[in-house]
Amino acid sequence: MSAPTVSTDRVVKQGFLARYGTQFAMPAGILVLLVVGTVLSDRFLSVGNLTNVLINMSIVGIIVVGMTFVFVTRGMADLSVPATLAVGGLLVLMLDDVIGTWPAALIGLAVATFAGLVNGLLIGYAGLNPVITTLASGTIVLGIAQAFVGGVIVYGEDPAAKDFLTGRLFDVVPMIVLIFAVVAVLGHLVLSRTVFGRWTYAVGGNPHATEASAVPVRRVKAGAFVLTAALAGFAGVLLGISLQAARPGIGAGYEFDAITAVVVGGVSLLGGSGSIPRAIGGLLFVQLLTNILTLQGVPSEPQGMVKGALIAGAVALDVYLRRRGGRE
Amino acid sequence: MNTVRRAFDSDVFLGLVRYRVAIILVATVVIAASMVPGILEFRVLSLSLDRIGTTALVAAGLTLVLITGKLDLSGGAILALSGIAAIGLQEQFGQVPAALIGLGVGVLAGAVNGFLVVTLGINSLVATLASMLFFRALCHVLTDSRPFSGLDPLFGLAVSRPIAGTFTLRTILFVALLVILHVWLTRAVAGRNLFAVGSNPASAEASGIRSNGYVFGTFVFAGFTAGAAGVIQSLSVNTGSPVFGESTSLLAIAAVVIGGTRLEGGRGSALGTLGGLLVMAILTTAMEFSNVPAYIQSIVTGVILLLLILLDRFVSGKKGRDLSLTALLRSLRESRRNPETERTHAP
Amino acid sequence: MSTSAPALRMSGISKSFPGIRALTSVGLEVAAGEVHAIVGENGAGKSTLMKILAGVYQPDEGTIELQGEAVRIAGPIDARKRGIGMVYQELNLVPDLSVAENITLGAPPSRFGFVDRKALRARAAAVLDELGAKVHPDDLVGSLPVSQQQLVEIAKAYASSPRIIVLDEPTSSLSENEAQALFRVVERMKAAGIAIIYISHRLREVIELADQVTVLRDGRLVETRSAEGITAADMIRLMVGRDLTDVFPKTEVPIGDVVLEVRDLSRKGEFDGIDLDVRAGEIVGLAGIVGAGRTEVARAIFGLDRADRGVVRVNGDPVHAHQPRQGVDAGIAYVPEDRKRDGLIPQLTVKENITLASLGEVSTAGWIRGRAERRVATDKATELGVSPPVIDRRVDTYSGGNQQKVVFAKWLATKPAVLILDEPTRGVDVGAKADIHSIIGQLAAQGTAILMISSELPEVLAVSDRIYVLHEGRVSAELPRGASEQDVMRAATGEVAA
Repeated sequence: MSAPTVSTDRVVKQGFLARYGTQFAMPAGILVLLVVGTVLSDRFLSVGNLTNVLINMSIVGIIVVGMTFVFVTRGMADLSVPATLAVGGLLVLMLDDVIGTWPAALIGLAVATFAGLVNGLLIGYAGLNPVITTLASGTIVLGIAQAFVGGVIVYGEDPAAKDFLTGRLFDVVPMIVLIFAVVAVLGHLVLSRTVFGRWTYAVGGNPHATEASAVPVRRVKAGAFVLTAALAGFAGVLLGISLQAARPGIGAGYEFDAITAVVVGGVSLLGGSGSIPRAIGGLLFVQLLTNILTLQGVPSEPQGMVKGALIAGAVALDVYLRRRGGRE
Repeated sequence: MNTVRRAFDSDVFLGLVRYRVAIILVATVVIAASMVPGILEFRVLSLSLDRIGTTALVAAGLTLVLITGKLDLSGGAILALSGIAAIGLQEQFGQVPAALIGLGVGVLAGAVNGFLVVTLGINSLVATLASMLFFRALCHVLTDSRPFSGLDPLFGLAVSRPIAGTFTLRTILFVALLVILHVWLTRAVAGRNLFAVGSNPASAEASGIRSNGYVFGTFVFAGFTAGAAGVIQSLSVNTGSPVFGESTSLLAIAAVVIGGTRLEGGRGSALGTLGGLLVMAILTTAMEFSNVPAYIQSIVTGVILLLLILLDRFVSGKKGRDLSLTALLRSLRESRRNPETERTHAP
Repeated sequence: MSTSAPALRMSGISKSFPGIRALTSVGLEVAAGEVHAIVGENGAGKSTLMKILAGVYQPDEGTIELQGEAVRIAGPIDARKRGIGMVYQELNLVPDLSVAENITLGAPPSRFGFVDRKALRARAAAVLDELGAKVHPDDLVGSLPVSQQQLVEIAKAYASSPRIIVLDEPTSSLSENEAQALFRVVERMKAAGIAIIYISHRLREVIELADQVTVLRDGRLVETRSAEGITAADMIRLMVGRDLTDVFPKTEVPIGDVVLEVRDLSRKGEFDGIDLDVRAGEIVGLAGIVGAGRTEVARAIFGLDRADRGVVRVNGDPVHAHQPRQGVDAGIAYVPEDRKRDGLIPQLTVKENITLASLGEVSTAGWIRGRAERRVATDKATELGVSPPVIDRRVDTYSGGNQQKVVFAKWLATKPAVLILDEPTRGVDVGAKADIHSIIGQLAAQGTAILMISSELPEVLAVSDRIYVLHEGRVSAELPRGASEQDVMRAATGEVAA
């Protein structure tokens, strides 16, 4: 027995700000940063500096793509990224003289993906809490990686690969930025134009209704984690090759950077909304801010404080706007 | 498949689950003793308990937070920050006042978490992630990323020395705290209300329990215990360091989960956390004695954690009979008095 | 007692929600120590009236008097303070606390902040004893069977010394024995002078327990009378007799072969031995009161839930649906009862919702073909009359009736051979209702086999070619077209031997 369903005959009219505010906020914010940066430092608006920004954000950016899927499907967060990243980096360098860099890269990617599969099974199918599960699995994978490597730095044997990755296409576009751009575009296309992407939004928006609509909910949830692990592994491979050195701790902090970017970009933790461009926007915002601070001579550590405050601020704003808009 | 499912339904199995902390503890002790014959020596036990002391204090506060259904990842960072305050302010304020200020820092940090989660309504995972980043960065800023020493190494040494040949002050502190918490959780009105808040906040609110106040309070308490952990740790080694406590949060969560506290809230036990801590203490000591490297230890911790939450998942759907010893004893007494009494239970 | 004011008097209560007039000038009077039953079909207004009493809603018009004093109930906590105890169908207990702690939640007997265990046990035992409930105060609520949990919930309401207690469908998940235990508790409360409002679909219980009966229909008070000598038939007549003001167009359609065949479908505790047939072009109604098991049967046929045994066949081919995907592949579609929970993804657009179950049709190798998708969505939206047919708008900005059309559109896009509708016009305004009936008729004309669950008798009778009536998980009757409402209600309440 229930009261008659409240029907809203009138279209819910929202204020202009509420409806478009969230869409314009990020580009506006980035514009503001660009202006502020130019004002504060004449080195800011140079091609060299901005290219550096792009290079620095490429590795995290690849992970951000995966983390966006996790957020949208209401999978909360994947905290095993440092481990899967490390796996990619370590394996590619350990095996590059044995079977060649690119096959080694594939192996690194495969192992990282396998770890993601385990995450996916536990979280998507067994329904375990994603935070604790990825925390635990990350610890396990990292431990295994350390066992393998013996806790020392692994060096690469393929300077040619390094040159390739750290080089520039047509002497202008850094290779690594290009790869990131490709991943980002592919990720965006998958999320916004494929069946899997549509399912991802549906699962995050209303898992019950999605299940009742004959969508494989558990597979979708698992998929987000498999994807993130694979992308983290890929990022690790790239990082390893471009440094020609890696140690197990190489991935430390990347998960938080990715989460910061996604949250600042306005992708909701509750799932069902957001997009890759938004997440990348958030990443760009954070990176520009970091760059401005660095140019001002602020050392890296206080920047962490800024990041923390940013996350809190961005989410608080999101909560506020949602309450205002009447949608919980 | 049905026999497997029935096995999960049997009273024996459910009883095992209910007392799993005790069972795991016993199993751990047995395994450890067989691996390392000398492990049950008192001196060894005492030291291994002390080693887990820092994690234990953080775990105590975390237990309450988890019971209310929230998460707190910032324990390690608060720990480091408080330690830095306790050591760094010694010159200015004196050793004891500095230590007290360190405690205050922990409380304040907990209040920040409470503010983010309760007042701003931010999801506790994200909020404590953000505060963790913030506090950790603050540590680095304050110390220029370098550990530094305090005035007098002998001052804090007492904390980690066995008292009268038994346990260290730190050990006594955390055991006492957990026992007090257990009593509070099982006997005090506010403690019982905490379970209501975590289990069914709407129902709690309707009964006049101010859920928000409770949640805020647990974050402050968690900050306090993390602060205490940090102050004691820094004093015992006379060092303030921005990298202290980096893995503490994960270990603390593991201990709490091993101890049976549910991540979804509404169920938990301070004694369970104590049990979980003991398990981890014995395990790590046994592994160290067997020269098992640190990364294997973390693998073991991770695997145990996963297995346990898997087990919880499997069993959580079963509304079994109340299998506490008291309930079993009572039903025994009753059935002896009236042999016809039959307890109906869920299909 | 005869000269003092009644414990509760509600007069002239009216309440409207956007698009629906839930209550029109309803009155209710309950004396202390009286068991007053409220009966009516789903949507008659019972729960709205009780929610007003509980302080959840404010009435648009009308007054509430407690013990003769006019009051305004500000909210649920205020209601509790004023001595109104609510026991809902969804229990509000804390599973990990004991019975005694739940009963005294928020204010247990204590000393210096610590629970006084002896006093706690004693107080809880006293309450349970007074009610005659055989529940031990120290047991963990989570480990108790539902029937006992319910007793705890009642004890909790009783412990705050209320003047009025409302029991909302208390026996819906209880067995015969357990229900008897509940009745004894009700008798005790009655003897203690509490005014008891008892809402139930089980008319036999009403006859057994109630002193007075109020019948609501379509948001209005039909009659309040003494329960002395009342029969189920009397109540049915009052609940159901109405003029057919909404004309449901029914076109005669050629009926083909059996498309959906269900044999011996059973699920322990929910339904047993269900046999159904639905032919092409046929609209088969599935009637029964709440709790009879209709939705459960539908979900099992579709694959949302599992059955313990039984066979489902579509066009002769057996279907083993463990998941909705298998149901859809077999040509079955299910429009769910709870639109908000099971029907729509609120933040997705109309287009995205419509194509959700049939993305395979508009995609190649996983890539969604944008134009094809838009075409399907636009076609379906226009076909069903979603207004305005803007497919790029979020679906939660539409009215209930339009939302229901979107859900329909989604399932029609899967081109089903069998369409199962669960309360298809619930929460839908009259205009949209007529549209939906017309759509159902068109679908039948196209040869779809339709199984329609509805609690609204006029609808079922007007639209169906045949009606199966479910009672307590079994098919109690199969009625032909032209059966009367009384025929249906009798079978639905078990008056008719199965």
